[in-house]
Amino acid sequence: MNKYIQGVWSARYFWTHLALADLRSRWRRSFFGILWTIIQPLGMTLLLSFVFSRLFKADITEYAPYILSGLIVWEFSIASVTGGALSFVQADAYIKQYKHPLVIYTLRTVLSAIVVLILASIPLFAWAMVVLPQNFGWSWLDGLTIFPVLFLITWPLATILAYLGARFRDIPHVLGLAMQAVYFISPVYFEVKMFRAGGLDVLIDYNPIYHVLQLIRAPLLSGEWPTAHNYLFSITTAVVLVFLAWLVGRKAESKVIFFL
Amino acid sequence: MTISHISLTNVNLHYSSVAYKERSIKSLIGNLLKPKVKREALTDIHALKNISLTIKRGERVGLLGHNGAGKSTFLKTIAELYPISSGKLKVEGEVRSLFDLSMGFEPDATGRENILYRGLLLGLTPAFMRKKEEEIIDFAGLGKFIEYPIKTYSAGMQVRLAFAISTAVGGNILLLDEVIGAGDANFMAKAKQRISHLIEQSEILVLASHDFGSLTALCERGLVFHHGDLIFDGGINEAVQHYKKANGLAI
Repeated sequence: MNKYIQGVWSARYFWTHLALADLRSRWRRSFFGILWTIIQPLGMTLLLSFVFSRLFKADITEYAPYILSGLIVWEFSIASVTGGALSFVQADAYIKQYKHPLVIYTLRTVLSAIVVLILASIPLFAWAMVVLPQNFGWSWLDGLTIFPVLFLITWPLATILAYLGARFRDIPHVLGLAMQAVYFISPVYFEVKMFRAGGLDVLIDYNPIYHVLQLIRAPLLSGEWPTAHNYLFSITTAVVLVFLAWLVGRKAESKVIFFL
Repeated sequence: MTISHISLTNVNLHYSSVAYKERSIKSLIGNLLKPKVKREALTDIHALKNISLTIKRGERVGLLGHNGAGKSTFLKTIAELYPISSGKLKVEGEVRSLFDLSMGFEPDATGRENILYRGLLLGLTPAFMRKKEEEIIDFAGLGKFIEYPIKTYSAGMQVRLAFAISTAVGGNILLLDEVIGAGDANFMAKAKQRISHLIEQSEILVLASHDFGSLTALCERGLVFHHGDLIFDGGINEAVQHYKKANGLAI
């Protein structure tokens, strides 16, 4: 086990390079370049909050940051889940040539997605600062913990899916569908109170997406600290996923090369 | 510093057949539901059969065998890329392998950038690659093309660059799979010289080839593979004879 972690560490130049290369190719030859990461969710948020605030009669200034927070975290999840499922398949040229620990290829996917998420969260903080200045305080620092927590959840999840994706090439398609379903039953755009009003408390209380989102929503949108329960639920999810990824990897890691 | 050493005891290797049987969930479920139709079943390929041998420091070993006999599989097993299904494999020393040279380039990045990337893939540090960069560029001899993206390169140019990078660093254990034969005549001469320099530096060489000339020139010991079996292990000249006999070639 220790040897495995050492392998990941000694390949650090390689996976940081891969993650950076992904980001570079994302922004290559576009006029706004890196700014697109910020513009795109902002534009989407404006559009959605305009429509939704009319539909649900919500206050746009407060509803918009709610949507923005949901949107960027959701886009991050999609990028790491569907990208994660393809991580091994895409890295086949590397896997066939050199024996690095396979988790570095999902690490690459998750890392580049998290850099995008961090950039995209800048306007969220700015927005909350302008329209909800009364919420500003030390709890905002706590909001930053969403990044490592998300990382701990998505890295093992992407790894599990990458094994499945190497074995069954349908996985990315299935995931596209599954993510859409998860999106509808999670408080990504729709407000928590709408779920509760509909008697769908289960979809909130036992949904890791809700608890993770609370880490950033509680401080920024309501000026509160995330609860210990939010952390407990998120960390437990991460621990379970790490265990599952370890279980799958123990059996499958050496055989992946046959499936590429 | 460990002494380079390779030992295999009763090593078997199977390519698992699921990798080419059920590629989709549909066919997996379909096969469970469907009554069994008698067709020729695809079975696991037994690629290495009960191989036992040791290679000590200083040995130069040539691998012979028909296509599909297990030469490349043997090399990739030693490189620890393929999982063995039973037996014991012990490899001590730093392995440097030259297999599929032109794999893993990034087409949008320039030749110079790719030198760094490939070095990192091989587990080297950026500082080390910066030191080696000029030497690699010089050896590849691509002129101003080194500043162009790889996708503008011809196949031959790609191989030259890949060769220059992969051979810039040696290892204690050098594994070669038919790499000799890249580029034009001019480059070939340089490449051969460089390979022989690498071979001199290495402590163990394992070379798979169909070229008896280079095999007898570079190796002393020969292993002959035949349908996954190791049928001969001994001097290279006898190995060549054995190989010819096993495959019905005129001696």
